[in-house]
Amino acid sequence: MNSLLARKTKGDVLFDIINYTLLTIGMLLILYPLYFVLIASFSDPNLIYSGEIWLLPKGLTLDGYERIFADSAIWVGYGNSLLYAVVGTAISVSITLMAAYPLARKDFVGRGAFMWFFMFTMFFGGGLIPTYLLIKDLNMINTIWALVVPGAAGVFNIIIVRTFFQSTIPDEMREAAFIDGCSNTRFFLGMVLPLSKPIIAVMVLYHVVGFWNGFFDAMIYLNEESKFPLQLVLRNILVQNQVNSSMMIDVESYAAKLRVTELIKYGVIIIASLPLLILYPFLQRYFVKGVMIGSIKG
Amino acid sequence: MKKSGSIAVSLLLGAGLALSACSGGNGNEGANNGGANGGTNAPAEEGFNEEGLPIVDEKLTLTIVSPKAALAPEYNEMEIFKRLEADTNVHIEWNNIPDTDYAEKKNLLLASGDLPDAFYASQFSDYELITYGEDGTIIPLEDLIDQYAPNLKKLLEERPDIKAAITAPDGHIYGLPTWEENELGTNPFFHVINKQWLDKLGLKFPETLDEYTEALVAFKTKDPNGNGKADEIPLSFMHMQWCMDIAGLFGAFGLPDNLEHRIVRDGKVIFTATQPEYKEALKYFNEKWYKQGLIDPESFNQDAPQYLAKGKTPDPTLGSYVWWEIEEVVGTAQAANYALVPPLTGPTGKQTIGRGNGGGPGRNAFVITKDNENPEVTMRWIDQQYEPYMAAQIHWGPIGIIYEKDANGKLVNLPLEEGVSMGEFRQKVAPNGAGVITAEHFRTIVDMEPRAQQRKKDLEQYYEPFMEKENYPTIFFEPEELDTINQIEPELIKYVNTQRAKFIVDGVDDKAWDSYVKTVEDMGLGKLMELYQTALDRYNAAQK
Repeated sequence: MNSLLARKTKGDVLFDIINYTLLTIGMLLILYPLYFVLIASFSDPNLIYSGEIWLLPKGLTLDGYERIFADSAIWVGYGNSLLYAVVGTAISVSITLMAAYPLARKDFVGRGAFMWFFMFTMFFGGGLIPTYLLIKDLNMINTIWALVVPGAAGVFNIIIVRTFFQSTIPDEMREAAFIDGCSNTRFFLGMVLPLSKPIIAVMVLYHVVGFWNGFFDAMIYLNEESKFPLQLVLRNILVQNQVNSSMMIDVESYAAKLRVTELIKYGVIIIASLPLLILYPFLQRYFVKGVMIGSIKG
Repeated sequence: MKKSGSIAVSLLLGAGLALSACSGGNGNEGANNGGANGGTNAPAEEGFNEEGLPIVDEKLTLTIVSPKAALAPEYNEMEIFKRLEADTNVHIEWNNIPDTDYAEKKNLLLASGDLPDAFYASQFSDYELITYGEDGTIIPLEDLIDQYAPNLKKLLEERPDIKAAITAPDGHIYGLPTWEENELGTNPFFHVINKQWLDKLGLKFPETLDEYTEALVAFKTKDPNGNGKADEIPLSFMHMQWCMDIAGLFGAFGLPDNLEHRIVRDGKVIFTATQPEYKEALKYFNEKWYKQGLIDPESFNQDAPQYLAKGKTPDPTLGSYVWWEIEEVVGTAQAANYALVPPLTGPTGKQTIGRGNGGGPGRNAFVITKDNENPEVTMRWIDQQYEPYMAAQIHWGPIGIIYEKDANGKLVNLPLEEGVSMGEFRQKVAPNGAGVITAEHFRTIVDMEPRAQQRKKDLEQYYEPFMEKENYPTIFFEPEELDTINQIEPELIKYVNTQRAKFIVDGVDDKAWDSYVKTVEDMGLGKLMELYQTALDRYNAAQK
């Protein structure tokens, strides 16, 4: 084997060189912006804009981080985001699993009808305003439930999980379990779930990332600042209106906001991505496996 | 019990919605039958006092939607509103929407019919005021003002121009005014030059455009910051951006410009960007400046943070720039080295500067919706904010925090704590949503902010002697006129501005210019200017 591999032709060597070069360039293209954000978060904002920072941080300053740590709104938002992500993910993942399992069972009466019913929602929705009215009439406005309940049964995810169940939980196993006197519930909890860790991990990651990054629902449904998730808080701090004449009286306030923004921009990116950066390595080993199994063998 | 109740309600409402959707476009009404009969006919609340304070004997709650700056606290936490609540006995349930998301959420509330009692600092456009006024979503206020708003009534009687400005073409008043009549917006283009460099290079302070050009050339070639590198930026600006553009310099060629390219002379509206003077100016900027590398090439696409950062490099590199305050760009340490340039005399001996358009009172400070069951109480509550002392506190911050009353009863600024920026602090203590401070009030009731005073002084000293006499006022257009404007103007202005950048960078020859003028005319310039002229004539007639 070894000798076979060792004998590289000129073409092989050339291929390797080109391959490694391209991959290295690709890697740098992805790594550099991340690295830049990191060094920029420690640097003087004016130097960033004058383009003097590209390899090493300059004008080292911790002002940005000081400001972030002193800003209670950011930390309230952080807490809210964690809460919404945990509660939302728990609800979504359990509903997705519980909806997907029956649909995966061949002996489930009305499987086609239910499936069709689910699929229907993928293509037709009420639109923003009717949805808003519904949420309002359910008295969910300005509560956590407006964020975590409406999107809990994601049909696309249900299909992925259903396909996973169909391909990894053999029908024979269920028959064997039933012969031993196992109930449906016990089979689901005791056998299906432990066998489905990869797909659960994938679902958890999908949803956590979704909830963590989402701001639109929160913007529409939440009214109180103390309930805003992190992304919305950041959006309000970082997004600026253009300077125009209607701000005439307030150019100064604009400049004040600008200063805050520039100071904390890169720092908050780091802080806001931390939870996901921490979570990802733990779930990553399931990730590739799970998606592949779920989606390809349809 | 409660749960099944709400489910039933939601089912009913769902059915109601479906029905109203079938009946054709009356969704608003269908979802809202609960409070639709509010209006002016509602019986006055028990214990409502038509005069004096408190407004109501028993605490009453109103729901009000308002945008809020990111740095500001929720409005109920704001000192000035706490005082207002204590005085009036009216509790406000604020729905504070971050200003970045306000437009979107306001539209959602209006479209879904989920209306509050009122919108504060409403940001309704003229178009929205008229359309929502005509379909009854917001109610006409003139009768309420007459009966329940003594402060506002007095203001409108004293200042018929304000009344004219806030009255819609259909004769109703839908939104209340807000204004600081400080006359600071007449010229936003404060042109700044590095005086230290001029002295160092032995140049005299430029009075003509050619002298100014010579100074820029010297900045570029003679290394005035003395670091041995040619890193000086002779002139940086932001193309066609408010308060950062070189529009002020076009006046040197005889026809001043502003951001709309629309000026008024002797009651006639002129579109500047197709006039020969404008062409001469562009030719000059291209040949004398751009070709010699005097203009920072990033001037055409940089954003504000980038622009502001250029003034704060360790070795000063900025020779000349435009921003309506010196300090903001170059920082406190460098500010003393820079000085304002008055309008320059052009090659033909002209020395003028444009006057910014608009600048009248805002007319969307406060609107009351049809779902409001206590319009009288609401009007009395908002009227408190038109009492001059209160108006000043609403705009800048409360007595005891920002102001104190001096012996003459005038509000004067208290010193700020060390390290607090006025702009940031103001957002935290002042909602700045309603209230009118007239020029008269600035003399008797309240001092201008120190920085505003400085700006006013600068304007008077450097620019006002050379300024155009007329401008295009903030006119309340008819909806059809707005349709036409919205159809033609955005594309047209965009094209004109792109071409302006192109002409400055690439130069103007007669052929390119002629084809440019023709394109602009084909885009509907004639129709647009005619419309502006008609509206201006109407406005002038109404003012008399």
